[in-house]
Amino acid sequence: MITVASQPAGATGAPASAPAPDPVPLAVAAVELGLRACAAYDRPDLAARLGAAKRSLADPVVHVVVVGEFKQGKSSLVNALVGATICPVDDDIATAVPTYVRHGPEPAAELLFDEDPPRREPIAVEDVRGWVVERAPTADLSERRGPAAGSAAEPARVAGVEVRIPRKLLAGGLVLVDTPGVGGLGSAHAAASLAAASMADALVFVTDASQELTRGELDFLRQAREMCGTVACALTKTDFYPYWRKIRELDTAHLRRERLALPVLPVSSMLRSRAVAANDPGLNAESGFAELVRFLSEQVGGGVAGRLAGHAADEVAAVCRQLEAQFEAERAALADPSAAQQVVAQLTAVKDRVEALKAAAARWSQTLTDGVTDLSSDIDHDLRGRIRTVIQEADDAIEATDPADTWSEMEAWLEARVAHELLANYTLLRDRATGLSEEVGEHFRAASGEVLSRLAVPNPTPMLAGAQVEHKLELDKMKVGKQAMVALKSAYGGALMFVMLGAMTGISLGPLGLGIGLVMGRKGLRDEKKRQRTLRQNQARNAVRRYCDEVSFVMGKHSRDTLRKIQRELRDHYTGLAEELNRSNAAALTSAAESVKRTQAEREKRLKDIDAELTRLRKLRQDATAVAG
Amino acid sequence: VSGQPRSLLERARGVLDRAAGVYRGTPAGDRLRELAARLDEPLRVAVAGRVKAGKSTLLNALVGERLAPTDAGECTRIVTWYRDGHTYQVTAHPVTGEPRQLRFQREDGAIEIDLAGLAPAEVDHLDVTWPSQALRTATMVDTPGIGSLSADASRRSWELLAAGDEEAPADAVLYLMRHLHSNDLEFLRAFHDTEVSQPNPVNAIGVLSRADEIGVGRLDSMASARRIAARMATDPSVRRVVQTVVPVAGLLAETAATLTEAETAQLRTIAALPVREADALLLSADRFGQLLPELGLTSLEREQLLGRFGLFGVRLASTLLRRQVATTATELAGHLTERSGITDLREVLGSLFFERRDVLKSRSALLALDALTRTEPLPGSGPVAAELEEIIASAHPFHELRVLSAMRAGWVTGKPEVLADLEHLIGGAGNATHLRLRLAAGADKPELAAAAAEALARWQRRAENPLTNHELMVAARVAIRSCEGILAELGGHR
Repeated sequence: MITVASQPAGATGAPASAPAPDPVPLAVAAVELGLRACAAYDRPDLAARLGAAKRSLADPVVHVVVVGEFKQGKSSLVNALVGATICPVDDDIATAVPTYVRHGPEPAAELLFDEDPPRREPIAVEDVRGWVVERAPTADLSERRGPAAGSAAEPARVAGVEVRIPRKLLAGGLVLVDTPGVGGLGSAHAAASLAAASMADALVFVTDASQELTRGELDFLRQAREMCGTVACALTKTDFYPYWRKIRELDTAHLRRERLALPVLPVSSMLRSRAVAANDPGLNAESGFAELVRFLSEQVGGGVAGRLAGHAADEVAAVCRQLEAQFEAERAALADPSAAQQVVAQLTAVKDRVEALKAAAARWSQTLTDGVTDLSSDIDHDLRGRIRTVIQEADDAIEATDPADTWSEMEAWLEARVAHELLANYTLLRDRATGLSEEVGEHFRAASGEVLSRLAVPNPTPMLAGAQVEHKLELDKMKVGKQAMVALKSAYGGALMFVMLGAMTGISLGPLGLGIGLVMGRKGLRDEKKRQRTLRQNQARNAVRRYCDEVSFVMGKHSRDTLRKIQRELRDHYTGLAEELNRSNAAALTSAAESVKRTQAEREKRLKDIDAELTRLRKLRQDATAVAG
Repeated sequence: VSGQPRSLLERARGVLDRAAGVYRGTPAGDRLRELAARLDEPLRVAVAGRVKAGKSTLLNALVGERLAPTDAGECTRIVTWYRDGHTYQVTAHPVTGEPRQLRFQREDGAIEIDLAGLAPAEVDHLDVTWPSQALRTATMVDTPGIGSLSADASRRSWELLAAGDEEAPADAVLYLMRHLHSNDLEFLRAFHDTEVSQPNPVNAIGVLSRADEIGVGRLDSMASARRIAARMATDPSVRRVVQTVVPVAGLLAETAATLTEAETAQLRTIAALPVREADALLLSADRFGQLLPELGLTSLEREQLLGRFGLFGVRLASTLLRRQVATTATELAGHLTERSGITDLREVLGSLFFERRDVLKSRSALLALDALTRTEPLPGSGPVAAELEEIIASAHPFHELRVLSAMRAGWVTGKPEVLADLEHLIGGAGNATHLRLRLAAGADKPELAAAAAEALARWQRRAENPLTNHELMVAARVAIRSCEGILAELGGHR
């Protein structure tokens, strides 16, 4: 469809072929021009749309999630990247809450609480360590238990810590997310990290050069790849392990075997930190961080900037298209006074169509309402099915063991298992919602395209009207799926998963008596053991059910809320678009009606003006289209 | 021990003999003969853990020879038994078919085995016979790591260690962990057996391996590792499955055991450098490979040094030489051995495994017999089962193990100092009398006897105290028996 854009070839001056320079300034310029046009034609509604695009363009946010096994050097990597000790590094204690490192004029830190509405609380930068690391230096398994049961007035759970520091690397909107390493990749924490990654722009997987990738790591990477488009592996501690080159080869081979085309970037955080401290470019080169920085700023940051620029340019093109249609209608009426009546009649007919487009009975609106209802029940069904499977598995496991021995492992397993099922359920919701959003957009586009082409039909010099509308469809398609993502992002952000942790109702599976074996006969001992074991198994089964009920309840509500939110977002979005069309049409109608009353001289003057406007608009649209690619 | 004329080992042998009579002529008969033979063999110690935990390296360090091949990538793919023997010999036991002898050569110390066309997946296990003092004390079993990318290798070591109700091939397990990891616990769960006690920390020791890497090579890495090991050893979920956790820098220990004069000379060259230059040279592995070409070390030599010592080892050894803490190769080897933590591990192994090897071996054999009598009862196996039950239910060492695992599982509650006292008394920190009584190693007989009598009185009081909870009271009775046993052994009087 791009070919269509090259109508008056070269007129735009923008390079048509691939290696475009930086799309961002071009997009900014286009948005500025578009805003000016909106002001000139008195269309604050269109201006608002461009304003939003302008804001997101000026303040891009690029989330990069740093994930990896326990003690692979995630925090060190983040520290070395920004050249400051932000994330606490310890031989033993692990990071326990996600840390968001982003740009700010002054060093500052805030606690993020996952409440409704989300709350923030400023803290001193020096205190970050106390909030980020595990509370008590205990093993990862017992760490998960969450707040101490004793203190009833436990303060709200800290969902994350945000640290701002002035850094050039971060100034482009890069946000580094250091994730908790407790529990390993099979844990519920890992599922939460994956959920976060699905909303992030890139994921950096950290594995150290002490050994090749393990089964667990590769499994995680495969999942991560499905959740997040841009993934890289950082091979850390290359200063310490002499055989890191061999490990890199092995890792690359493993990745190739798994058909995961990911870059493996060998880095040494220690060398980088030293290089930054001593301002030693040679050492920095040795550290291998240049590659990682390039990956982050060019591939990830550049990608996001390009996407934002494309989106903004898209908006400009869409706005131009509407204004053009409006002028073209007027022009048709002016150019042929005999046809003016017909134009007015047609525009009036279009008005009805636009009204219909806004109405709840419109096809897109029906699709949306029905789709959300179906989706809601499908997601719910899926969740129930998954939870049922988990309960079944848990029951089988409990049947085979004595909970007194295995309960703590069981808890960890259950949390992780449930978290992964939630993740799968959520992925389903995400994919289906995106699909629905596309379908709704398709229906709206079909209807509105008709309206737009109707608006333009009487154009005596039709500028490939049909083809253009089609082109517009292409542009729209790119951002349609996004609409659902916006809603999802505001609803999820992976925070839910972190909140789920520790929701396990602590049950006590204390032993009911030891060494009866020493005073009872062996037969008696066996029976007694069996009795106690059955008791504990029942207790454990109930606890599993309670937990799963709780999780299903919370997750179910979350899904329904999210879907409602998506529905509202989509409805508002397309109703807004219909309203814009309505205004365009009304403006065209007014000017067409007026044109009848004009004198010949006035008409000619106005025609000239309109042609000039149209030329400007077309040029702007073409420029914007070129940027949007 | 008073009131028990025959030792546990003798009783185990007796019941196995009787069982062999009952099962003669059946396939189980052969198994029983093997079980009986096992009682006379050295203790079988398996080295297990996640992939790349440093299992082969630690095995070499313990044997004091580079036997098991090691590599940067995943290396051990077949379960390999190393046992003492008169001749050097390697036998492959294929999954199907007869065992066959394999050719091998010693390259660079490590044994290189020619599988003669067998794929690793086709081999159930390898048997290496090697004349060695260390292997006379214990037969060592090297295992492929769990979490291996070749699922087959993982599965096989799982089978070896989690033999279910069957005879457990290993009597004791050294479980290597690189830093606590959820997978590790999953693995340890497999050790839980079902009868003598449950779960069972009695035959497993945790090793925090590759300890020098915890601080990424800082000179104080071992101190850090010790702190972490101590913390892990007090963690309830770790205590349930291993007796204690010892930090070991396996590579350093292995190299120290096989240190050469040439290597010492090379290290001296580095030690002779000014501190700043040496630090710059040892900043990273790559730098060590390339910087200061005038040093007189070829790049091959540097690479070999790194391979043998690791960056931490080179840093440590050159520092020791520079400060003249050690001057000769022997002294250096001694210091490196000491700092690697392997000495501590040997001591722990001695007190927790070797000193109660009879109990551990009997336990393995009796467990296997118990499973057999339950799954394949024959006419006449009933009395065998009854005798077996009698032994398991009455043998005092088993009571001790039971109380120990119950304590570890958190079933016995009481004041911490009381529990610590109890744990020592029943041999939780080691079987030696002085360890049980928490006295210095050199304590003489009267001193030991006095302490034992005191402990006896203390625990009798506790057992009779109506406020003592039921579990502790039962445990107290076992402690009393332990004290009486100690006194009997010392020839003392009550």
